[in-house]
Amino acid sequence: MREYTAKIVENIPIAENIHSLTFELPEEPEVRAGQFAELSVGGSHLLRRPLAVCRAEGKKITVCFQIKGEGTKLLALKKAGETLNVLMPLGNGFFVAENEKKVALVGGGVGIFPMISVLREYAEKKELSAYIGFRNRGAVCGMEDLKRADRLLAVTDDGSFGEKMNAVQAFVRDLGAGYRPDVVLSCGPLPMLRALKEALDGKNIPCFVSLEERMGCGIGACLVCVCNLTNGEHARVCKDGPVFDIRNVIL
Amino acid sequence: MANLSVNLCGVTLKNPVIAASGTFGFGREFDELYDIGRLGGVSTKGLTMEPRLGNPVPRIAESRGVILNAVGLQNPGVEHFIKYDFDWLKAKGTAVVANVAGKTLEDYAAICARLDGLADIIELNISCPNVRSGGMAFGIRPESVKEVTKTAKTALKKTPLMVKLSPNVESIAANARAAEEGGADCVSLVNTFTGMTIDIERRRPVLANNTGGVSGAGIKPIAVRMVYEAANAVKIPVVGMGGITCAEDAVEFLMAGAVAVQVGTANFTDPFACPKIIDGLNDWCDRHGIKNVSELTGTVKLNG
Repeated sequence: MREYTAKIVENIPIAENIHSLTFELPEEPEVRAGQFAELSVGGSHLLRRPLAVCRAEGKKITVCFQIKGEGTKLLALKKAGETLNVLMPLGNGFFVAENEKKVALVGGGVGIFPMISVLREYAEKKELSAYIGFRNRGAVCGMEDLKRADRLLAVTDDGSFGEKMNAVQAFVRDLGAGYRPDVVLSCGPLPMLRALKEALDGKNIPCFVSLEERMGCGIGACLVCVCNLTNGEHARVCKDGPVFDIRNVIL
Repeated sequence: MANLSVNLCGVTLKNPVIAASGTFGFGREFDELYDIGRLGGVSTKGLTMEPRLGNPVPRIAESRGVILNAVGLQNPGVEHFIKYDFDWLKAKGTAVVANVAGKTLEDYAAICARLDGLADIIELNISCPNVRSGGMAFGIRPESVKEVTKTAKTALKKTPLMVKLSPNVESIAANARAAEEGGADCVSLVNTFTGMTIDIERRRPVLANNTGGVSGAGIKPIAVRMVYEAANAVKIPVVGMGGITCAEDAVEFLMAGAVAVQVGTANFTDPFACPKIIDGLNDWCDRHGIKNVSELTGTVKLNG
């Protein structure tokens, strides 16, 4: 974890309300798939915005985000050449064990961006199947990276692109057809993660999910972004996560 | 190089900058970014006798110039702190300000007795607005401020007592005096202002707790006024806080009457806020020919 003054290389819309922001750091960070960065918004915004690293190419880092409130609106207005204060890499990230060869990725909404980071890190090393859900055709993005998967099923809620279903339904259909991954990695809206947990119940397939929560410090000190663990304790999403074993978290 | 050290009720701080409770954990995470031994002090995450899980999420929200939080005193309990974090923090060479909270007078007495002689200063949280059954009741009225202060002071034989005052009160001066009468060795202020922010699409408050404590740059002028009023109401030292973001903000609080300052929300905006403020204070003093930072305390002159 370090604090950097980064230079914005590119900041462009890639889908409806989705922006891709690429910045260059003064050095190449050691960043793993599933880790995130905290970006200063500036102005009257005191909190940084935690965003998953989507692509890391040398010193160049790309994060993608949905324009949701004033903070992300301001981030979307930042121009190439401007500087940006960045704290990264943060969080634990995804880790795929040596003996886990077949990896299923289940991503929905902005949860597809951490999945892209996994695809980029593991494309050559693992057999990857990606189940990716978008709201509709206008929300489709990241296809170039998603196509690195050995098998890609991109679907939409309304059927305007690919089949009409969600990512978990697409995954469950393949499970029903005999597909058995060694591990499942996922990120997306809570209802999606809950459906995934239910689908995997009793199947004995390890699954790790990346969670999202409103954050304060982003480094584990303030105890703002906690999630409930099945053992009754709390974990910090920013420091102990954002990636958790799906069996250990209450979604 | 100015002399930045200050004497806070018998405790020498290497500089007047203390990381504020609840924004800094027990210091371990920030120590990964810089040596927290540089700080004048660290006020710990609010400690209770028993571990607490705190409030549901979301626990934080943002509004222009401020944030709102409702963490609800999540902490591992005082015994866990003593066993796993205290020695480490003490060895860093910064003053350990143990921030403590309780639901009853007995809780306050017990936790103060437990930390007596260990912590450099005990900071009494009587104003946390987030716990329905907790702190608020003690911090509102001068009578109860005096009572809880007296209870804590009686339990403390060695460690000086700092009482953290709530700003959600009728008279900050009266409550500062009440703490002084109860035996406080110093007071710190302000804790957060109670606020609410609403997600208009969902027609619900953003915070799961509905209300939360407002802090950050936007509250600074109110905090400066309250520190000024408190400092002029008591003889014991005052520690000022509320929206301090840079060295110039800290100077303002010192001039208003504070001996030292605490920095909280700024740690979220810039994790290096505290060391930057310390360096900035030194530069400011040098530029203004100030040899000892303590010369600045209470030097504001009101307009005729």
